[in-house]
Amino acid sequence: MRTVITWLLCSLAAAMPATAAELHAPKDIAAGTDFSITVNGDSHGTFYLIGPATAEKRSVENGSEISIPGTDIEKAGNYQAILCSDECVSTEFYVHAAEADRLSLLVHPSRVPVATTNAISAVAIALDRFHNIVFSHAQVDFSVNSNNGSSASHAQPTNRGIAWIRLTSAAKASSAKISAAVGDTTETRVVEQVASEACNLHIKSYWEANHLVVQTDPVRDCSGNNVPDGTVVSFTKTDRSGKTTVDAPIKKGIAKAEMPVVGNARISVASGVVLGNELNVGGAR
Amino acid sequence: MKRSLRLLLAVAVLFVASGYSAAQSSPSVEFNAANAGPRSVEDLTSQTVPRDYAFAWQNLSQALDENRPGLLDAYFTGFAKSSLEQRIKQQAQSGLHVRYTDHGHKLNVLFYSPNGDLMQIEDDAQLEMQILDGGKVIQSQPLHVRFMVLMTPGADRWMVRDLESTPAPRSGE
Amino acid sequence: MKWTLAIAIFAATIVLVIISWFQSGAIERRRISSADTPDEAVRLLLSRVKSHNWDAAYAQLANSSYVDKDNFIHTFSGDDGSLRTYASLENYDVWPLHSNGRLATVRTKLHYSTAVGPLDDVRDIQVEHEGDAWKVLWSTAALPKLAPQVIPVNYLRWDVINRGAADDWGVQNVDSPRVRIVSMNAVQRPDRIVIVGEIVNEDTVPAYVDVNATLLHADGSAITQENSFDKISHILLPKQVSPYRVDFPGYRLTQIKSVRMDAKSMLVPASADPVIEVTGQKLQKDALGKMVLSGDLVNESGAIVNIPHVLASYYDSNGKVIWVSDGYVDQALLPQTPVSFAVDLPDDIASQAHTYHVVVNSFVNQAS
Repeated sequence: MRTVITWLLCSLAAAMPATAAELHAPKDIAAGTDFSITVNGDSHGTFYLIGPATAEKRSVENGSEISIPGTDIEKAGNYQAILCSDECVSTEFYVHAAEADRLSLLVHPSRVPVATTNAISAVAIALDRFHNIVFSHAQVDFSVNSNNGSSASHAQPTNRGIAWIRLTSAAKASSAKISAAVGDTTETRVVEQVASEACNLHIKSYWEANHLVVQTDPVRDCSGNNVPDGTVVSFTKTDRSGKTTVDAPIKKGIAKAEMPVVGNARISVASGVVLGNELNVGGAR
Repeated sequence: MKRSLRLLLAVAVLFVASGYSAAQSSPSVEFNAANAGPRSVEDLTSQTVPRDYAFAWQNLSQALDENRPGLLDAYFTGFAKSSLEQRIKQQAQSGLHVRYTDHGHKLNVLFYSPNGDLMQIEDDAQLEMQILDGGKVIQSQPLHVRFMVLMTPGADRWMVRDLESTPAPRSGE
Repeated sequence: MKWTLAIAIFAATIVLVIISWFQSGAIERRRISSADTPDEAVRLLLSRVKSHNWDAAYAQLANSSYVDKDNFIHTFSGDDGSLRTYASLENYDVWPLHSNGRLATVRTKLHYSTAVGPLDDVRDIQVEHEGDAWKVLWSTAALPKLAPQVIPVNYLRWDVINRGAADDWGVQNVDSPRVRIVSMNAVQRPDRIVIVGEIVNEDTVPAYVDVNATLLHADGSAITQENSFDKISHILLPKQVSPYRVDFPGYRLTQIKSVRMDAKSMLVPASADPVIEVTGQKLQKDALGKMVLSGDLVNESGAIVNIPHVLASYYDSNGKVIWVSDGYVDQALLPQTPVSFAVDLPDDIASQAHTYHVVVNSFVNQAS
C-alpha cells in the first residue's frame, strides 16, 4: 500500500506542469544601497544583472531571495534582473540617485569687466556621492564674496538637478568668490572683475636729453579702476622725419615712450579702440 | 564554375557588409529646442547637437554589441563614458553582449546654460534590446525609455557627458 | 652584372660632381677669373660668397686692409641669431649703374632663401679699376657696437596655469581671451582675393590669435578656407591691435557671395617686452622704383631681438584698411640700435593709401 501511494504521488508530481520562478524587486531603491530580489519558485540557475554601469552574471542556488550588494547599483537608471534555468524570467527596476552630496559648479567668465549687467553666470548641478544627478528638488545656496568686503547670497531650488543664477559684476575691480552649497557641500569659484576700457586717456610730454618723453596720466577706466599693467598704449608721432609709432605696455599704471623729434611734431595716443588727446610740440632742445 | 563561385562569394560578402553597415547606421533623431532656456539654441548648434547625439548612439550600440569601449571615445566623456566603459568591461568578463535596434530618438532641450557650455536634453527613445550570453539570447524586448542627457561642447563636436534613464515611461509602452 | 652596376655608380658620381661644380658657381669663377669689367668683378665676388669661399672673396676687395674680415663675412652670413644666419645666398642679379673708367657703381639684387621664404637684398657696390682688373671697393661701415651699460627693464610677464587633466569637469578653467575683428575688407587683386583687416585683444590678458576666412557661395556653403598664417601678429597684449591678411590665390570676388570670418584665441604665457619703436616711417620709392613703406626699428629693451617681422596696414581717407603687407628683417635688433626696414605695396594701393600703421613681431632666441 505504501509503495502504491508513493508511486501515485510521484506520478502526480511528474504530471503537474513545472511552475516558472517569478522575480520581484523593491519599488524604491537608492543608488549604492544593498537590497534583495524576491524569488517565487525555483531560484536555481544563472542570474544576470544588467544596468547603466553593470553587466553581472553569477550562479544562484535555491533560495527565496537573491541579494544585490550596493556596489552593483551605484549608477542610477533602469536595471534588468534575469534568472535563467530551463527558461529565463526577468524583472525591471529603477535605481534613483542617493542624497545630494556634491556639486558641479560652472561659473563663467573667469574674467569680467566691472559694472557689466548679468555678465556672470553660475550653474550648479546637484550630484550624489556616485556622481548621479539628483533629479528630486534640492536647495542650492549661492553666495558671492568680494575681496573688498561686500557679499550677497541667494537660495535657488534645482529643477531636474540644475540650479543657476546670473550676476552683475561689481563697480570696483576685485576678485569675487562665487560659492554654491547643497547640504554640507560647498564649491567655490573665483571671478576676476577687471577694469573696463581706458577712459579719458591723457598724455603729457617733457624733454630728457635730446629726446621727447611722452607719458600717460595714470590710465583708468570710467569707474576709476586702474587699467591693468601690460595693457598696450599706442603712441604716434608725426614730424618732418616721418611717422614714429611705439606700442608701449602700461607699467605701474602709466605708459611711456621716448621719441626723437625733428621740427614741430604732432603726437597722438590710443589704447585698443579708445583714442586719447593730441599734443603739438616744438623741435628738439 | 570556379569563377561563378567566386562571383557568388563576392556578392554574398557585399550583401553581408551592406546589412552590417545598415545595422550600424546612425539612428533618426528629432530635435526640439523650443523649450530651451535661459539661452536660446543657435542655428548651428541645433544642427550639430542632434547629429552628434545620433553618432553617439551609433557608437554606443556598436560598443555594447562588440564589447569595444574604445568606440566611446569619440562622443562620450565624463561620467557617461566611465559608466559605459565599466559596463562593457563587465560584459566582456561575463561573456555577455547587448544588441540594440534603434528606432529613433526625440530630443527636447530643457536647459541651455547662459554661457552655452551645457545642455540638458530629455530623450524619448524607442529601442529594441537583446541581451545575449555568448550566442544565446536570454532577453529580448522592445523598450520605450526616457533618458536625461547632459551634453557639453568639445573641440569640434558636442559630447555626451551624462546619460541617465528616468523611471517613466515603462518598457514596451 | 657586377661590372655594370659599378660602372653605373661611377658614372652617376661623375655626373653629380659636375652638377655640384656648376651649382657652386665654379664655371662662372673660371670664366671671370680676372674681372675685365665692373659687373664681372661683382659677379666674381658674389660667386665666391655663394660658395662660402670667404678667403678668396675677401682677397678680391680693393680695400681689404680697411675692411674687418669678420664684419665682411657677417654681412652675408649674419650674426646674433638673425634671419640671415638661417639663410643662404641662392642667386643674384647684377647690372652696372655708372662708370667713369676708374670708379664704377654696380647694383646687385641678392636672392636669399631663408627659413621664412625668399628674401631679396638690393645693394649698390662700388668697384675700382686697379692695375688691369676691376676690384670691389667694399663699404667699410662698421657694425654697431653698444657701449657697456645697464638698461633697466620693468619685467612684465604673464604665466598661465590651466585646469589639470585629472580635475573634475566642473572645476573652472581660465577663459580664452576675448578678441574681436574690428575691420574686414575683401580686395580683388589680379590673381587672387585678399582679405585684410584688423583684430584687437579686448581682454586684460595676452592672447595668441589666428584669423580664418571662408569664402561662401550664395547658399551659404563653403568654397574654400584659408588662415592668416604669418600675416598677423599672433601674440597680442591687452588692447593691442594687429593687422591680418588672408590670401585666396586663383579666386575672384565675382565667384563668391560673402566671407565668413573666424577669430580664434588662446591664453598663452607672454612677455610685455621687448618694446620696439618704429621711427621715420615714410612711403617712398626704393632703388628699384617700387613703392615701399620704409623706416627704422629701434629695440628699446636690453635684449637682442633676433628676427623682427614688420606688418603694415594701410588705410584710405575714410579710415578703411585697404592693404596689409609684411616683411622679415634679416638683421637682428641690438638694443637701442636702429635697423632699417622696407615693406613693399602695390602702386595702385599706394596711390589710395592715406595713412598707415606698423606693428613689429619679435622672435627672440632664448639661447642667444
